[in-house]
Amino acid sequence: MREGFHRISPLADVAIQGRFGADKGAPGVELSVRHPLSIVTVIARKDKAEALSAALAGLKGCVVQWAGADQYYAVSETYAEGALYRELREKLAGLASLSDQSHGRIVIRIAGPKARAVLAKGTPVDLHPNEFLRGKSAVTQMAHVGVHLTRTGEDAFELSVFRGFSENFWEWLTGQAEEFGYQVS
Amino acid sequence: MTSFRLEKGGLIDRAASLSFSFDGKGFTGHPGDTLASALIANGVHLMGRSFKYHRPRGVISAGSSEPNALVELREGARQEANTRATMIELYEGLVAKSQNRWPSLAFDVGAINSLAASMFVAGFYYKTFMWPKSFWEKIYEPLIRRAAGLGSAAKEADPDKYEKAYAHGDLLVIGSGPAGLMAALTAARLGARVILADEGTRLGGSLLFENEEIDGKSGLDWANSAIAELASMPNVTLMPRTTVFGWYDGNIFGAVERVNDHVLAPSPYEPRQRYWRVIAKRAVLAVGAEERPIVFGGNDVPGVMLASAMRAYANRYAAAAGKAAVVFTNNDSGYRTARDMRTHGVRVEVIVDSRADSRVEAGGVPVIRGRKIVDVKGGKGVAGIELDDHMHIGCDTVAMSGGWSPIVNLACHRGARPKWDATIAGFVPPDTGESFVAAGSAAGRMLLSECLADGAAKGGGKPSDAPKCRDETYAIKALWWVKESKTKAFVDYQNDVSVKDLPLAAREGYSDIELVKRYTTTGMATDQGKLGNVNAIAILAEATGKTIEQVGTTTFRPYYTPVAFGAFAGPFVGRHFQPTRKTPLSDWAEEQGAVFVETGLWMRSSWFPRADEDWLASATREVLATRSGVGICDVSTLGKIDVQGKDAGAFLDKLYCNTFSTLPVGKARYGLMLREDGIVFDDGTTSRLADDHFLMTTTTANAARVMSHMEFCHQALWPDLDVQYVSVTEQWGQMAVAGPRSRATLQKIVDGVTLNDETVPYMAAKELTILGGIPARLFRISFSGEHAYELAVPADYANMAARALMQAGEEFGIVPYGVEALSIMRIEKGHVAGGELNGTTTAADLGLGKMMSTKKDYIGRMMAMREGLTDANRQCVVGIRPFHRSDRLRSGSHFLKRGDAPSIANDQGYITSVAFSPMLGQWVGLALLANGRARIGEMVKIFDGLRGIHQYGVICEPMHFDRENARLHA
Repeated sequence: MREGFHRISPLADVAIQGRFGADKGAPGVELSVRHPLSIVTVIARKDKAEALSAALAGLKGCVVQWAGADQYYAVSETYAEGALYRELREKLAGLASLSDQSHGRIVIRIAGPKARAVLAKGTPVDLHPNEFLRGKSAVTQMAHVGVHLTRTGEDAFELSVFRGFSENFWEWLTGQAEEFGYQVS
Repeated sequence: MTSFRLEKGGLIDRAASLSFSFDGKGFTGHPGDTLASALIANGVHLMGRSFKYHRPRGVISAGSSEPNALVELREGARQEANTRATMIELYEGLVAKSQNRWPSLAFDVGAINSLAASMFVAGFYYKTFMWPKSFWEKIYEPLIRRAAGLGSAAKEADPDKYEKAYAHGDLLVIGSGPAGLMAALTAARLGARVILADEGTRLGGSLLFENEEIDGKSGLDWANSAIAELASMPNVTLMPRTTVFGWYDGNIFGAVERVNDHVLAPSPYEPRQRYWRVIAKRAVLAVGAEERPIVFGGNDVPGVMLASAMRAYANRYAAAAGKAAVVFTNNDSGYRTARDMRTHGVRVEVIVDSRADSRVEAGGVPVIRGRKIVDVKGGKGVAGIELDDHMHIGCDTVAMSGGWSPIVNLACHRGARPKWDATIAGFVPPDTGESFVAAGSAAGRMLLSECLADGAAKGGGKPSDAPKCRDETYAIKALWWVKESKTKAFVDYQNDVSVKDLPLAAREGYSDIELVKRYTTTGMATDQGKLGNVNAIAILAEATGKTIEQVGTTTFRPYYTPVAFGAFAGPFVGRHFQPTRKTPLSDWAEEQGAVFVETGLWMRSSWFPRADEDWLASATREVLATRSGVGICDVSTLGKIDVQGKDAGAFLDKLYCNTFSTLPVGKARYGLMLREDGIVFDDGTTSRLADDHFLMTTTTANAARVMSHMEFCHQALWPDLDVQYVSVTEQWGQMAVAGPRSRATLQKIVDGVTLNDETVPYMAAKELTILGGIPARLFRISFSGEHAYELAVPADYANMAARALMQAGEEFGIVPYGVEALSIMRIEKGHVAGGELNGTTTAADLGLGKMMSTKKDYIGRMMAMREGLTDANRQCVVGIRPFHRSDRLRSGSHFLKRGDAPSIANDQGYITSVAFSPMLGQWVGLALLANGRARIGEMVKIFDGLRGIHQYGVICEPMHFDRENARLHA
């Protein structure tokens, strides 16, 4: 690829770094955009759900998130354009259909003591740590937008939305975080 | 003005003082006051005028059931009508106005309605203002509304924020009195996730104002230690100022939290209110019971209030309702008021107990047994009372207690009816199963010890877990209304329904309680009959010779108390009413000066004006530049669905009426999809990228619907197919590159391919790279009729690719074009789109009948063969041009035969799409016309009833321009 051609996030001019919202000491949440990212939709072929699930368990170099019945997202920060898609297509040949979604979804990370409180303003999913364990994902809706939600830590989550909604979703999300104060990094 | 503030006691902060104004007059109160308690402490009882008769009214209750003390709170954009003074927490700078009075609260012209009271009897809306009919809308209704309206809303937009949120728990406890606290404590100690919600400012319920003794301490101290324990537990969420207003399927409760109603203006970062959906595995209804008024003459004179309210004002707010009180009761609890008031140093003249044989400790207050109050003397305040033996007693306030009604509302929201319990003379909640149970006085348990034990049991423990306490006696002998009263006695204060209205309704044939409600308006408006309904039911029962059980209650529906529209809307107002979806090319389009148009949720570039061009001038220029050189258009919004798997081709063959399994790899084909009923559903091109990999496109509008359709078909109809599909719409930024110089432009940015009819023939779908390595897909397809391509690149590169194309095409005069120009070009070419694919047309109607395969089965095939769908006389797509070349065509205009007058019977069809054709220099259109294809060349009358236009037009072929498709292959 010619030099100087970089992927530009739709939130590049929107998710501006800094401290916003109410000042009640430490920010209630920290928000960041994971970009650039490789994301591949993996859907089991007919009668291959179990074999696929076993194959996915052995994958290295990417995180696999549940995304529906026999569907997953494989996510990684370390691959070049299209490389994860090509690699998985080889490794999972015959087991799954794959589609590159690296540019189609925007992943926002939210972390901090108020992360659950902010998300409770959008999703009906119970995010209590006993109910929604680390590594678990849900397909839900927040602010009228479909969201793929994953718990990545005790107080840390990832929200993946269609790229086209990302700016609108960001505006909503930061609005909900205002009362706690938030840091964009 | 005399102060009615008691010298000591109360949960108010006497060290701090708050200034507020009511009807323009300044007062002071203390933190901990409500507006009602602060006014009472200032000796103000007159707080409003009644709905129909404009009678002076004072506060009746000390809680959310208040029917009278409704005020306009705040000013300007934050003004809020019908706000209950009993629920407004006092804050510095509070401004409130009384309602429903003119010119002033003390002197109200509308009170003249009282003199014409006979005109305002039950059903007066339906009787008095009936004739002539035309007067209703223009004269009667506006007059009644002005005279009877309660408060006025702000005209400006609400400046405050509102939020929505979800909460989850093992147990939701609604109400934080003795039963609620006990239930929450018991469950929380057992480790359950507990949510405790209460509509009050602070938790504690009746323990905040009743003199009780629990576990060797005062009820208040016990409550405070219970609340402190709950607050310290990580598995407990306390939600004061939160009204649970409804119970819904799935044990989901609706609640509204008044986050910042108690301040002058919220912080810009915080909402005023938050709308909660609470999802609870189990819930306990511990909302207590509501004291009932007694219906007697003058029971609405300011200064007459519920006995529990009078002692709440004294005990909790240190505000005395008067200097000399009379208590009128039919049950034991009224005595508590007499004793408490006396303890506070207020003279209690007498307890009037309607029961002849009661024996309750009166604390030294004289008791008159077996007597009733027939009338209250006074207008804007109480001057004294008259008993049924004509005895007059002087006093300035009256406490009344007609017994207690368990607050059953929430338990009845899903349809179950409450049950009558004669022992307590009240309705108790229905059995609604294990997941929602009532506890304490909400369940009809009238003793404190019963409430605590019930709370412990419903919280998951044993009744014996509850602490010891002191019980007050409780017994009641029902007295619904005082028949000896001659003066006006009110059943429903808010709607001015008097005791005479209910038998009248029954006499006029409205004897069912639901009809009585509508006919008399009893139980309507903001309080929904919280105080009056049981009395009304009892009065109706006697009038109709039924029992109370037989009469039953009206239907209980959400919302328990009024909820602001703002809370329902939450943050989704204005620009955020629905989400906005931006295309990957939006930055580039903005740079090019695009005017955007909402298309569903998408913002699409509509035209790109230069200087002071209007939309038509801009779109015309864009078309001319494209057709003579090259133009690019953002088509990213088209739905794109990856279809993969061994049976992908077979799946598409079943979905589309034409065949895809025969499509060679590297080629694209136009497809038409029918609905099950044979009508056209959607269209678009599908490309084959590999043997087992297709890329479908859908129209922008139908993208989500097509996806659902595919899921249904696969899962329900053909689960055996090995096919996988997912939307990849957002992965790609896609642009149409159209015009005779499109190939030359693209050639400058593609890597290592010479573009010609061999490498990229018509309908080719090719994967390649551009600009030195950016992956891309190039499709040689055309909607404009020009030699054209669509170029797709991963979305993060889309703006860059478009900018590079603009640079590459500069020498050819490249222009960006928007959906207006796109639409003009497709109409010139007679291509059907949304106007024609309008849910009424068949493939044949669209001139695409030949696409319907006869060699396979597909969705819609059978139904498309129905007689009505194959009728030769159906309306089908034709072209239309005005007879006079300079005439403009209007979409939606109807066709008539030349000599016919406009009528439905004479209707021949209508125009679906119009455009000013820059190529032809005149307006052209597409239309649906009965038996249209046989009528090419016919002159028709064009009728536009909306604009009053009659003109003539000539039917022609749909394709207006380049009928040989020479440009497509140029």
